[in-house]
Amino acid sequence: MGHLLQYILNGLARGSIYSLIALGLVVIYRGTGHLNFAQGEMALFATFGAWWINDHGFPLWISILLAALGAFVGGGLIEYSLIRPAAKKSPFAVVVITIGLFQAFNSLSGLLFKGAATGLPFGTLFPDAPSDFFRLPGGVIWRYENIGVLVTVVIITVLLFVLFQKTKIGLAMRMVANNADSAKLAGVPTNKVLMLSWALSAAIGTIGGCLVAGINANVSLGTMFGVFLLASAAATLGGLDSPIGAVVGGLSLGVVESLVTNYPNDWWGSTYIGADTAIAVAFVIILVVLLVKPSGLFGSTRVERV
Amino acid sequence: MTPERAPLLEVRDLVAGYGAVQVLTGLDITVAEGEVAVMLGANGAGKTTTMRAISGMINRKGTITFRGEALTRRAPDEIVRMGIAQVPQGRGTFTDLTVEENLRAGAYVRKGSGIEADLEEWFGVFPRLRERRSQKAGGLSGGEQQMLAIARALMSRPKLLLCDEPSLGLAPIITQELFDVLKRLNTEQGLSILIVEQNANLALRIAHSVFVLETGSIVASGTAQEISNNDAVRTAYLGY
Repeated sequence: MGHLLQYILNGLARGSIYSLIALGLVVIYRGTGHLNFAQGEMALFATFGAWWINDHGFPLWISILLAALGAFVGGGLIEYSLIRPAAKKSPFAVVVITIGLFQAFNSLSGLLFKGAATGLPFGTLFPDAPSDFFRLPGGVIWRYENIGVLVTVVIITVLLFVLFQKTKIGLAMRMVANNADSAKLAGVPTNKVLMLSWALSAAIGTIGGCLVAGINANVSLGTMFGVFLLASAAATLGGLDSPIGAVVGGLSLGVVESLVTNYPNDWWGSTYIGADTAIAVAFVIILVVLLVKPSGLFGSTRVERV
Repeated sequence: MTPERAPLLEVRDLVAGYGAVQVLTGLDITVAEGEVAVMLGANGAGKTTTMRAISGMINRKGTITFRGEALTRRAPDEIVRMGIAQVPQGRGTFTDLTVEENLRAGAYVRKGSGIEADLEEWFGVFPRLRERRSQKAGGLSGGEQQMLAIARALMSRPKLLLCDEPSLGLAPIITQELFDVLKRLNTEQGLSILIVEQNANLALRIAHSVFVLETGSIVASGTAQEISNNDAVRTAYLGY
């Protein structure tokens, strides 16, 4: 039993990262119906940005905030200059552009940051000395860093909830998500709302990227590939248009990954079953969930009467 | 029966459509202050296109003047701020939002003061909406959704309300109730209304002036009385 709790706690930390990237995906998807394939690599680029600022002598938390701010502006600019003109032509054009951005941000990171391919050392916001943990019953340890990552996700989720449910901008975002045509007729400048969605999404992604880098103590060009794969799976599992679904989806995939990676090791001492199998198992679970509930765990099935 | 009223909305030589398809080919209508104007027309005549052109939802040419101000080049949100609210065809309720949130959404262009009071006012006019204020709008019946769509449009405090086929898909008794509400809004609050309808009989009963739209332009117009007596219109739209 002790092991189970241990693996769950470890999985929650990793799942928190998936949740953050998934949240970014959901924020854009709600407004536009587009999947941003560049979500992970945009976050990667901003994480390198945070590394660069940090490297110039700024404290890490300020570096991350500045990078998130830069990503906010950059995300808005991307929507304005690339996505919006493409969306007028066809939804497929947007898909192609986000795939292009995926490639572009990865290459740009390699070009701008020396040593990005092999990895640059990245600090963490949370105490991570070997002795920095809580001791729970059954010999389970809960590392401060894992707690910190989870708390960060909870805080961002709560902030997003307040934004969506309690503010006028949030109401406008939900109006656009639900019925863009009616939102326009009610006087919402829908273009600005979509721009804000991209900005917000890029900023959230930056936090996610910096947390991954912190856990790995390293950021390299390959850091976000696997994370993005599982984050998009988490968003799908949660229902693509549901922020809470993204969080639940991300956390549960993190836990599944942790269990599938660790248990076979305990039972058979096998190292053959590793993270790759975990991804396969995660996707089987998603497949089953979507077969039973095509809109995902928390996705909205539109009820409309005519 | 109508004394001369100041024109509120003047549409001249309106040309609009979707992409290469021209739906309106030079349309003229005038809605006077305080009146109910009805536009009749068959499917595909361009009724919805007219409404969307007025609200700035599609590209259009010609002149549209509202309270003396040109709005042909304005964006939808500016047009709402100028005082034109539209209840689109198919109601356009925000199905995932609650009834109350739908009404607050309607007040999007307004600043704080008076919104709460208006909310109470429309809950008073539509008590069913008050009962269901925290339910998702998607679960409402068609008639309730139509009432909600109208109340939502009114939350922006418009001078002119555009209603695109409000009777679509509603039971006759609900439609009757709906037109009673629209008539009351006109007589009690002085709200000017432009209704687009296929249900000519009901619409003519509350209309002051009527326009008949055929394939992109107005082919007949006059008072409700005049149009009811027009044989061609009667056979085409009233069925007797």
